[in-house]
Amino acid sequence: MERGYRIRSKPNYETLVWKEKASAHVVVAKGAGGMAVLQLFQQMHPVQPVTVFYVRGDSTDKDYSQTLTKLVGDELQVFDTQMEALYAFYRRLPDMKMGTRFYVSGTESFIWSLCKLAALFDIQESEIVKQLSNSLSRPVYCVHCKATTPNVTTNIVACSKCSRKLFVRDHFSRHLGAYMGLMIDAENPGEVPAIEEIYP
Amino acid sequence: MSTVNVRVAAIEQVTPLVKHFTLVREDGQAFPPFSGGSHVVVAMDIGGRIHRNAYSLMGAPDDTQAYHISVRRQERSRGGSAYMHDNVAEGSVLQITMPVNLFQLIRMGRKHVLIAGGIGITPFMSQLHDLKRNGFEYELHYAFRSPEHGAFSAQLKSECGERAHFYIDSLGQQLDIPAVLSRQPLGTHVYVCGPAPMVNAVLEAARELGWPENHVHSEQFTAPPMGDAFKVQLAKSNMEVEVTADMTLLEALETAGVGPDSLCRGGACGRCELDVLELDGEIFHHDHYLSDAEKSSGKKILPCVSRARCTHMLLDI
Repeated sequence: MERGYRIRSKPNYETLVWKEKASAHVVVAKGAGGMAVLQLFQQMHPVQPVTVFYVRGDSTDKDYSQTLTKLVGDELQVFDTQMEALYAFYRRLPDMKMGTRFYVSGTESFIWSLCKLAALFDIQESEIVKQLSNSLSRPVYCVHCKATTPNVTTNIVACSKCSRKLFVRDHFSRHLGAYMGLMIDAENPGEVPAIEEIYP
Repeated sequence: MSTVNVRVAAIEQVTPLVKHFTLVREDGQAFPPFSGGSHVVVAMDIGGRIHRNAYSLMGAPDDTQAYHISVRRQERSRGGSAYMHDNVAEGSVLQITMPVNLFQLIRMGRKHVLIAGGIGITPFMSQLHDLKRNGFEYELHYAFRSPEHGAFSAQLKSECGERAHFYIDSLGQQLDIPAVLSRQPLGTHVYVCGPAPMVNAVLEAARELGWPENHVHSEQFTAPPMGDAFKVQLAKSNMEVEVTADMTLLEALETAGVGPDSLCRGGACGRCELDVLELDGEIFHHDHYLSDAEKSSGKKILPCVSRARCTHMLLDI
């Protein structure tokens, strides 16, 4: 890409830091994202109520659940799958009050899955503090069949639903929480460039 | 700006200080429908000088036959509210602008908390129509100084039922703003209209509790404060204009025939913002629009409410 050129839709991520003005804190993390939660608790254990939802890392990801259990205590809930954790988070939203601050750490697929759930309760993604954990893998939205393929590490990927070969673009939709993927061999079927890992 | 002549069809004394005016179009046509929270600017010819005051529309937004405004007599009025109270009668003709909305409901919100102080109830009168028509979840908190000053409180009590809460200062009933804000579910928006201390208390309580700024909405039409006379020089029009003590800078520019576009005339919308090219004195900013940095830079001014003490101020108009 041309030097100095920047795609404005591409999200920038930050480091999790407690917000000073808050009524409560909700932290959600997955796998290697647990390190960001540990760092949060290095800063302090806030006076306001805290809830931590953590998805245990699997064989391909780091698992901080034991350290978190010792450090966070009763305010931690550990889940085996992303689906279970996000469902538990969503079930709690109706009981949460204005003034609750949100923090999330994990892959981009995880971060934006959470943001989409929060948006259902009128929490804008700009109000959620987001830290990317140690992977650049992307959620990719197929502009043809509208499915989102999570955790894509390559420049070209087969859509998880329609199997079209999608070119992974840098253009990001906050509404969909994913990068745009366009069929790469639409004009010359079967002509697919080399697939390389560029988002390790 | 498009204006329309209206005739005062009815006047009702609502409280000792508040009058409710029913306006119909002089040409007999229908008004456009508006959205809850909108206001119009009423132009009054007082002794040859045009006064313009913004008033919230109170009626049902889909009532195109009549517009309704309420005017509180201000103790330290520059003439506008006193004129509406003393000189406007049934049958009088006034000129108003078409509605503008700087205080609209956020339709994505899951709940709406309305906080009114005194005459600040007026924008909520039309918003409540929108809230009810859409079936939105809401609460109204309305504080006023004594029972006889609770404009429309009986009507609100019957229309809103237990969603309306009243706080009457003379009876020792206090609105606990932090308590109201701390029990609101996610997705709630708060709207406040009333005197400056109340608006500031809501903004402060929301900030302390950790509410995101974009869930907090306020409207405050500042009555332009008076001050000493000063002179300004106009770069593009190549003239000098004197702003007398009882006149705003915006009115002085309009009188000179070079008025900028304006909407709210109360320091809220920013439409009349002007660039200050040169200044040898001090600007007194009274608006709620410019950021603190912009105010201290001395490079911008809202002529509707702000004044200056200077011998030379060159404006880019």
